[in-house]
Amino acid sequence: MAGKAIVITSGKGGVGKTTTVANIGTALAMMDYKVCLIDADIGLRNLDVVMGLENRIVYDIVDVVEDNCRLEQALIRDKRHKNLSLLPAAQTRDKTAVQPTQMKTLVDELKNEMDFVIIDSPAGIEQGFKNAIAGADAALIVTTPEVSAVRDADRIIGLLEAEGLKNPEVIINRINPEMVNRGDMMNIEDIIEILAVKLKGIVPEDSIIVVSSNKGEPVVLKENPKAGLAFKNIAKRITGEEVNFIEIKEDTFFTKIKKIFNFS
Amino acid sequence: MKSPISFKVAKDGIVLTLNPKSKFREILNALNNHVKSATNFYAGSDLYINISENSFKIDQLNEIVNVARGYKDVKNIIFTSDMVKKETIEVGDDGETTLIKRTLRSGQKIKKSGNIVIIGDINPGAEVIAGGDIIVFGKIRGVVHAGVKGSNASVIALRLEPTQLRISKKIARPPEGAAKSYEIKPERAYIQDGQIMVEKFEI
Repeated sequence: MAGKAIVITSGKGGVGKTTTVANIGTALAMMDYKVCLIDADIGLRNLDVVMGLENRIVYDIVDVVEDNCRLEQALIRDKRHKNLSLLPAAQTRDKTAVQPTQMKTLVDELKNEMDFVIIDSPAGIEQGFKNAIAGADAALIVTTPEVSAVRDADRIIGLLEAEGLKNPEVIINRINPEMVNRGDMMNIEDIIEILAVKLKGIVPEDSIIVVSSNKGEPVVLKENPKAGLAFKNIAKRITGEEVNFIEIKEDTFFTKIKKIFNFS
Repeated sequence: MKSPISFKVAKDGIVLTLNPKSKFREILNALNNHVKSATNFYAGSDLYINISENSFKIDQLNEIVNVARGYKDVKNIIFTSDMVKKETIEVGDDGETTLIKRTLRSGQKIKKSGNIVIIGDINPGAEVIAGGDIIVFGKIRGVVHAGVKGSNASVIALRLEPTQLRISKKIARPPEGAAKSYEIKPERAYIQDGQIMVEKFEI
């Protein structure tokens, strides 16, 4: 059975690609799918840190490509879910250490074993990006409600289409509930109107994400935070389930009081 | 057509048109200069000399041929009047129109010597440059430059919100803080009295 390879990319850096990969991957694993995460950001690896698996790395993606080890040897099994594994990037090399054709072979091999292969793309549009998308069947673009991030996302969609990855979908990350309440934020309709692609999910900004990244525990592992729920919903949509988008507007002091007195 | 001679590329060769309004001496001088400056660009192709509405004496024709022989390695020199006109219309500079049926995204650039018609949007960060008109069945949010060759071209779109709009050598920006909206509002930009004007486009 061949799985599906999905690349998570953005163009702009710092919009939350790695966090998205860690959370969607973990959420899919929690739903009992066999999942492998690939960190394609060679030279600037992060996914292992966010997953809390840094200290288990022996071999990495470059070792596999250069035949220093077998693919199975480089895969790190997640400490919480045994059906989740990570192929880490090399930290001491750079993007030229892997070629797109090698990447494609690698992803195809993993697809035979897995239900989902999630590829974490580096920022930018150079070789690292080309490597990351080489083996992918679908693309998810992460953006934030900022003009610069949306502009880069648009550029990436154009490049993906030129590479034959049609119909990419977009995740809008880090939506600030307070700013949405005030009407200060670039709103979701504006973004979708410009990008003209399907919306895959919206994720509210939450300081707990930083905490969980630092601890190496993806936020989907926790029950409460809205951001975790948002990532779980995206994972469900990836498996084909229909899920409504979460409500971003936060209860303000007044709406809370109204609720208490049953005015709303 | 002011110049005594002009060139067009036709299907099976080069067409050299002699301006009927120019004097024979002017034509011959212009041709002479062109032959001197031309490299072997015309090598291997046929040269059609379109005398159009000129009437030349046989000696004059001879002189023209003698000068035209200066083009290196031209296959045949053929006299013609209007025979090739129909063929050149399609490849002529102004008649050529490119149709693009997709949205242009950031980083994508289209540059054509003729007109450009786009069915889709021009997103911010995309660039469209045309020798003639630019017509967009969608929104313009990127940079458009019409009439590069100096002609008085226009830009028409269902929604005109460009980052920058250039026609010929004039540059215009939309007013700061202009309200963004999605409603369809066809507009046309053109040059009038040396300024870019935008008006509602009425069909």
